[in-house]
Amino acid sequence: MTDLSPRHLLPAEPDRADARRVLGRRRKAMIVGFVVLLVIAAGAATVAGLRNATLFFRNADEAIAERVELGDRRFRLQGRVVPASVAVDTGVTTFEVIHNCASVSVRHSVDPPDLFESPWIPVVLEGRWVQGDVVTVAGRDTHFFSSDNMLVKHTNEYVAANEDRVPDPNEPPEGFLDDCPFEVPRL
Amino acid sequence: MTGSVATRVLGAIGLAAAAVMAILALWVSPADAVQGDAVRLMYVHVPSIWVAYGSFVLTAFASARVLWRTRSGAGGTEGVIADRQARHWDRVAGAAAELGVMFTGLTLVTGSLWGKVTWGTYWQWDARLTTTVLLFVTHLGYLALRRLPAESRARARRSAVMALIAVVNLPIVHYSVDWWRTLHQEASLEIGIGGDRNYSGEMYWTLLYSWATFTLIALWIGIHRYRVLRLEELAEEAALEELLSVRRSEPSHDEPVTER
Repeated sequence: MTDLSPRHLLPAEPDRADARRVLGRRRKAMIVGFVVLLVIAAGAATVAGLRNATLFFRNADEAIAERVELGDRRFRLQGRVVPASVAVDTGVTTFEVIHNCASVSVRHSVDPPDLFESPWIPVVLEGRWVQGDVVTVAGRDTHFFSSDNMLVKHTNEYVAANEDRVPDPNEPPEGFLDDCPFEVPRL
Repeated sequence: MTGSVATRVLGAIGLAAAAVMAILALWVSPADAVQGDAVRLMYVHVPSIWVAYGSFVLTAFASARVLWRTRSGAGGTEGVIADRQARHWDRVAGAAAELGVMFTGLTLVTGSLWGKVTWGTYWQWDARLTTTVLLFVTHLGYLALRRLPAESRARARRSAVMALIAVVNLPIVHYSVDWWRTLHQEASLEIGIGGDRNYSGEMYWTLLYSWATFTLIALWIGIHRYRVLRLEELAEEAALEELLSVRRSEPSHDEPVTER
């Protein structure tokens, strides 16, 4: 059976009780202050940590602009796949991704996810810059992106599939290439 | 034991609504032009996190009430009323947090499966996914804190503070897709009347219907959990009473214990 001691509790002396109350209040204030500090510290650490996650990926135009700083470091690259640029040869998928009218040539060495086949799908690729002359829809380039991991970044738009209204795969999303000084080849 | 006519009716309505939801989600609602049938996971994934958000907000509100009602040690009738209200809000907070954790767990599982089909991976540590896990873990911690042995008032106050800390992450989870670059897509529905929505008609209405169904089911489970928590309290009180009566029946001692 659980012990329920003390059996008889005598009232505390008034001055000792007062002192205990004051000490209790001080201790409570210290605990509250400590918790507040802890929350602020945790919040600051979380925000700092998430700031790193801010750059979960670099868009194609940013990756080109930061090419020198990036060197041969691994990073994630984001852009929409140009449907007419996709080609598969001995397990390597080559294609171009565009963002803000900047085009990057990609050599991807692993099987892409199923949704990669959707025209103009946005993808996030993990890999690094590799030196090599390539020609993209935007012109000649001195580097291509060597990737070994692909994530499909689907949009937040949900449209019912309609067999009578199959979209033209050559048509980019509305406004996507409006300001670009180049033409994209058709399938 | 925790059932009543009202909860039985509510349960029956919830069950029927879930059956209709399954028909709408699996057959009536169309496949997505890009994702195909995988989009049907949305009817579980999105309502789950909406219900979890609501549950965590309720936990925080009830926890604030607990702190408010236990802020002073008023005696007499006022003290008894305050204590009863604090216990009530503590049970509300506990039941709502259990729901929130359950539905966040469901969100994480369905999101992971959906991610594998669409993104090509079960998991990525992007800002949305990371903050959602944090929301799940902190509320799991809250539930653990509630189970630690302590005097009921102290335990209620301690857990209430934890709930108010944990809920700070909720807006961060929701707006993470706007504040940071994430693999997770941005919100497809804007909060508020007249906000933008990026769904075809049947998808939109099926999603709203699913949310209503999940809310009904959550309400039903929540009421039962509240009553179970009340029964646990009664059982504890009965056990204590029994111990006290055993002690009272013992012979008295010559040397009383004095307070040190």
